Amino acid sequence: MRFDIKDCTLITRMGGVDPAISARELRERLAICPNECLFHHLCETVVRPTFDDPEFPNDFAAWSARSLRDRVLAEKLGVVNPYHYDSLEQVREVMIEILDDRLHDMPFIPTVPQGEEFTFMQAVTVVFDTGVGLENVNDFVQMLPRMSNGSIYYHFIEARRRTVAHIDDFSAWLVELPEETASLREALHHVDFYYLSIAEVRERLVAAVEKAVISRVLS
Amino acid sequence: MINRLLSYESIVGAPAISQIRQLAAPLEGASVVHVNSTRVGGGVAEILAWLVPMMQELGLDVDWEVVTGNAAFFDVTKTFHNGLQGKPVPLPSSMIQAYEEVSDANAERLRDKLEAADFVIIHDPQPARLLKLCPNRKGMWVWRCHIDASHPNRRIWNYLRQQVEGYNASIFSMPSFAKSLPHPQFIIAPSIDPLSDKNRDLEDTFISQTLERHGIPNDAPLITQVSRFDRFKDPIGVIEGFKLLNSSTDAHLVLAGGGATDDPEGQAVYDEVIEAADADPRIHVLLLPGDAHREINALQRASVVVVQKSLQEGFGLTVTEAMWKGKPVIGGNAGGIRLQVYNHYTGFLVESPQGMALRIRELLRHPRKRSRMGATAKQLVTENFLLVRHLREYLTLMLGVRSGLANHLVAQ
Repeated sequence: MRFDIKDCTLITRMGGVDPAISARELRERLAICPNECLFHHLCETVVRPTFDDPEFPNDFAAWSARSLRDRVLAEKLGVVNPYHYDSLEQVREVMIEILDDRLHDMPFIPTVPQGEEFTFMQAVTVVFDTGVGLENVNDFVQMLPRMSNGSIYYHFIEARRRTVAHIDDFSAWLVELPEETASLREALHHVDFYYLSIAEVRERLVAAVEKAVISRVLS
Repeated sequence: MINRLLSYESIVGAPAISQIRQLAAPLEGASVVHVNSTRVGGGVAEILAWLVPMMQELGLDVDWEVVTGNAAFFDVTKTFHNGLQGKPVPLPSSMIQAYEEVSDANAERLRDKLEAADFVIIHDPQPARLLKLCPNRKGMWVWRCHIDASHPNRRIWNYLRQQVEGYNASIFSMPSFAKSLPHPQFIIAPSIDPLSDKNRDLEDTFISQTLERHGIPNDAPLITQVSRFDRFKDPIGVIEGFKLLNSSTDAHLVLAGGGATDDPEGQAVYDEVIEAADADPRIHVLLLPGDAHREINALQRASVVVVQKSLQEGFGLTVTEAMWKGKPVIGGNAGGIRLQVYNHYTGFLVESPQGMALRIRELLRHPRKRSRMGATAKQLVTENFLLVRHLREYLTLMLGVRSGLANHLVAQ
């Protein structure tokens, strides 16, 4: 069964929600923004160019630290892993709860300077076929290190939102192969990707797959 | 066949080039018309000078048209430009009439081509009215605003908004520049062409000859601002900041800029700059022709520090150019300069001539810091602000608008 490797590119667009200038406004806007905005600021951050290694994995946390200068809030928002929830609505509820707790503790609500508002964005993702396919585990092992950031993102990360079973495309394909792939799928399952850059995800995937293949051969 | 694109592989890597080709494949044969107001001078013309041939190489049928107009028209469009950047400017009905008459004439000339195109990309306010004058549009029309319109003059924006709200989409350089419009607004940062005359490597002899030709000493630290003679670029503030250095340095200042055919204020600002320089032999004010790209390149490469002390800035491609050449940049805390200059990493953001003087002094005294910041600046540009990323985003947008702007789509 052939696996067609896809690639994807993103272009960001305005999210259609007014900017937030305080934690209170962030809470209000977070409650009403489209799911696409949530997904962009929580999950698509890894495929966006950044200046440095981000200190926080999502934009809400990064803005709280850099512009609101509220590191307590930043830490609480930053530790939320959206892939641990079944839906974005659940993630939204968790983040609103964090903001409500924090707002409750604040003696006054600080605002950010002009130009540092939180701007709600979303993205258009264009997916295209690379023309490269995988037929078996050996192809997968060979191609994995050469896959683009867009391919790794699309098949390993974005798939969890796209697919009903919330699993990555590689695992879904491997289970269909006639070969024994349980150890490989197990290796993929244990790659904790959320706090990593795409380049780091690729490195971890390659290492995990190589290890699984070697142990399979030895056994 | 795609030789030009191939030449960027050594800079951005083969996967990035391959990705561009795959993205462009579904758009092969699509007719695209870019319209702006000048072929020479300014960042928009420079972007189109590489973007158009690059899209053509990828198999798209691309044309670049320029609106023509009289002095009154360009006075009005300069007013639009200043007004979008927040300057209080008048907009009497005579100006609106001058703008609309010239727009009508341009529409007569371009209508057939624009109405037949699959994509029309209108750059900035000068040609914006063309959409209203082309009622039988076949394709998608996108308004590309290169200007920092974060706090526009209300009257100017109210008029321009009527011209642009009918577009299918608009593009801004930064989220903070985007306006409330009844169509999707995309964010695309500009970029530079690393292999253009403005940015490619130069022989040392050419750099020396350029300095000699303009009477600039070869052995003095050079501080340079490259920009049009425009008040928003604050050339007077640069001179003021430079003069604050007093005798603490033997540095020379170069203010180099070309004129643009769509900027009627350039000569007046140039005259003010000459007056402010007050015949100081350490200040070199160079009015260069619009195609003096290699000379600009040489001046930037010869500099130890590059300044872009703008008060308002759409993006600041001269900042990108300097950073690509490994120079730390002292920039005004405005617009797109903030996207490029990170305090203590790639340069310094300053608020005043005093701030500029302070940071110049710091960088002149610490050459290792200068080198480190310059290297970081070059890395930032390599990863984010080269034309391949820019081209990829244009292609992505075109596929997106053609497919009805779903958030997730498969290119076919």
